[in-house]
Amino acid sequence: MTFGARARVVNPRLGTYFSIFAALFTALFLLVLIFEQLNLNESLLRLAFFAGPILIYAGIGLSVGSNDTLNYFAAGRRVPAAYTGLLLAASAMGATFLVAGTGVFFFAGFDALVLLIGTLTGLVVMAITLAPFYRKFGAFTVPSYLGRRFDSRPLRIVSAAVVAVPMLLVLSAELRMGAEIGGRLVAINPSFIVCVLALSVAIITGPGGKRSFTWAGVAQSIALFLALLGVATVVSVIITNLPIPQLANGPIARGLVRNEVNEGLQLINVWPLAFDLPGDGFAALTKPYMQPFGDVGVLSFGLAILSIAAGISTAPWLLPRVAATPSVYEARKALGWATVFSGLVLLTVSSVGIFMRDFVLDAVMSERLGPLPKWLFEAAAAHLVSFDQNAARLAFNGLHFDRDGVLFALPIATGLPQAFVYLLLAGALAGALVTAGATTVSLSAVLGEDVVQGMSWEPVRPDVRVWISRGFAGVVAVCGAALTIIAPTDPLRLVFWALSLTGASLFPVMILSVWWKRLTATGAIAGVISGFVTAAVAILMSEIGAISTPSPIAGTLALPVSLALAIGVSLLRQEMTRHTLEIVRDIRVPGGEIIYDREMQRLQLRKHART
Amino acid sequence: MIERKERKPYWRHTKWQVLASLIPFLAIVIVLPLYAQQLNANRFLGFPLGYFLAAHGFFAIAVVTVASYVNRQNAIDHWHGAHEDT
Repeated sequence: MTFGARARVVNPRLGTYFSIFAALFTALFLLVLIFEQLNLNESLLRLAFFAGPILIYAGIGLSVGSNDTLNYFAAGRRVPAAYTGLLLAASAMGATFLVAGTGVFFFAGFDALVLLIGTLTGLVVMAITLAPFYRKFGAFTVPSYLGRRFDSRPLRIVSAAVVAVPMLLVLSAELRMGAEIGGRLVAINPSFIVCVLALSVAIITGPGGKRSFTWAGVAQSIALFLALLGVATVVSVIITNLPIPQLANGPIARGLVRNEVNEGLQLINVWPLAFDLPGDGFAALTKPYMQPFGDVGVLSFGLAILSIAAGISTAPWLLPRVAATPSVYEARKALGWATVFSGLVLLTVSSVGIFMRDFVLDAVMSERLGPLPKWLFEAAAAHLVSFDQNAARLAFNGLHFDRDGVLFALPIATGLPQAFVYLLLAGALAGALVTAGATTVSLSAVLGEDVVQGMSWEPVRPDVRVWISRGFAGVVAVCGAALTIIAPTDPLRLVFWALSLTGASLFPVMILSVWWKRLTATGAIAGVISGFVTAAVAILMSEIGAISTPSPIAGTLALPVSLALAIGVSLLRQEMTRHTLEIVRDIRVPGGEIIYDREMQRLQLRKHART
Repeated sequence: MIERKERKPYWRHTKWQVLASLIPFLAIVIVLPLYAQQLNANRFLGFPLGYFLAAHGFFAIAVVTVASYVNRQNAIDHWHGAHEDT
């Protein structure tokens, strides 16, 4: 293992490599577009868009395999800020916020801004209070960080057990979402697609762990951005003549305000704790787009922002990402990029919602303007919308849209060729693979490092260490696939649960571990356990109807409990050692050695001295 | 490497910077959605103003907050000699 910063120079050819990937992906799209016009077999084109990108990702993952510990667990600490930011943004949102998120914007309008505000707040809080310090510490997993920071093995094992749950939930959500998206591309059994996706995630992440995931994941994120921004820009040019989908839909939004109410959509004020975001499956529009608090109550709006923000800022599948940046300064910049990228995607998603609302409004008003628009029948044939096809006139309550199909209905509604739908599907599939990969890599590292070797700090031989985690990557992929097939649940709900569980159990302890010197190991254990148990109980009680707080945000109620216990137990008994005090002081200063590497070297020396 | 007696002033400076970045930002998170309904009566670029501020405006504020924090914190690091060696 090398220590100086000079050994971690950034590869100067990164830009070239990923330009080649972007060109390949664009070429695939253009080829499919051409062949579609030449009336080539449609299922062949769909298969090309399903298998082609996955083969490229697998190729990238396999080509950067490595058995070196630093490469396997931290991508060699040489991932520049912009790439880290791209990955953070893509894996924070995943296919769930992209596909289900578009549906949520389409149905809930203003209320869907919880996703945008929550995600951005989470990233800003992470940038300011956690990321630079986590990078200075340099641990490969969140439980390793907590365990080393408090010099406590019980804390390490407890937090490993706790973080495994939300990561499995997110993995399952993304695989489910991926199966749904893949099912629109290739007509095979969804369970089989789940297995294919889990296998490809294992193949992509197995050879080089975080290093493989990083470079394959950057390619996947680029595919996601190209697909979403490309299609949205084309649609925006067609409808508004301006190539800025995020800003150009203003006049359309004004039209929505004026006409939706006339056509029968009324704002019904809900009670402050309501949280009725659209669930899985088909539903009719009930709420005007622009008015706030028709689906989500004021109080729930705040709680949901807190839940998403706390979850994202300490997510154990996102935070270790910054340990792979070359320096603390780069880690800070990476979060800036992540904010830019995720804001851009979520604003684009919101504009897709507005465009689709406009098309639906046209359809509803079509009785006076002419026959029903043709795209409705095409979208119905693609199972994106259902309505009475013999009706002469449709009201809003006669049109039922699939929440997870709104994004893919956009090119159909605009009258674009099918290739644009495939492009969006491939982009969304890439999003599912990024987040599935991020959770698989982090969870396998947690299981291999903190559970199996959790009882001892002394690391085993580097190659054994890597192979243990590699084995767990396969185990995690199998578990994720099994969970997805056995217990299919609404992906958006799963992600909400995962974020509130993470936020409640980790957020207070992680923040205090940097910003409050007196937090003790016992206090941290109390905070993590109480937060997790209270959040899990709150979610379960809400699911069976024992408490009235909706289950996606019920977990947040545990956050104050965890905070109070962590502080209270720490105040009871002081147990600060000179060593942990030294670590806290070092975390706070960007300069100097990476603490984790230094500690590992110290342990290695001690081991050598003994033998 | 930072000098020992510089650590306290460095951390005090950092704490103030963090508060100065986070508090206005979190205040905006709470306030913007609450007043969206009233602001929606006005228009900007065709958007109802409340929606525009809560979506596009919030995005801009988040980016500016992180960018200014990175810039300021970097300056603080250099001022106290706490920056990295490269």
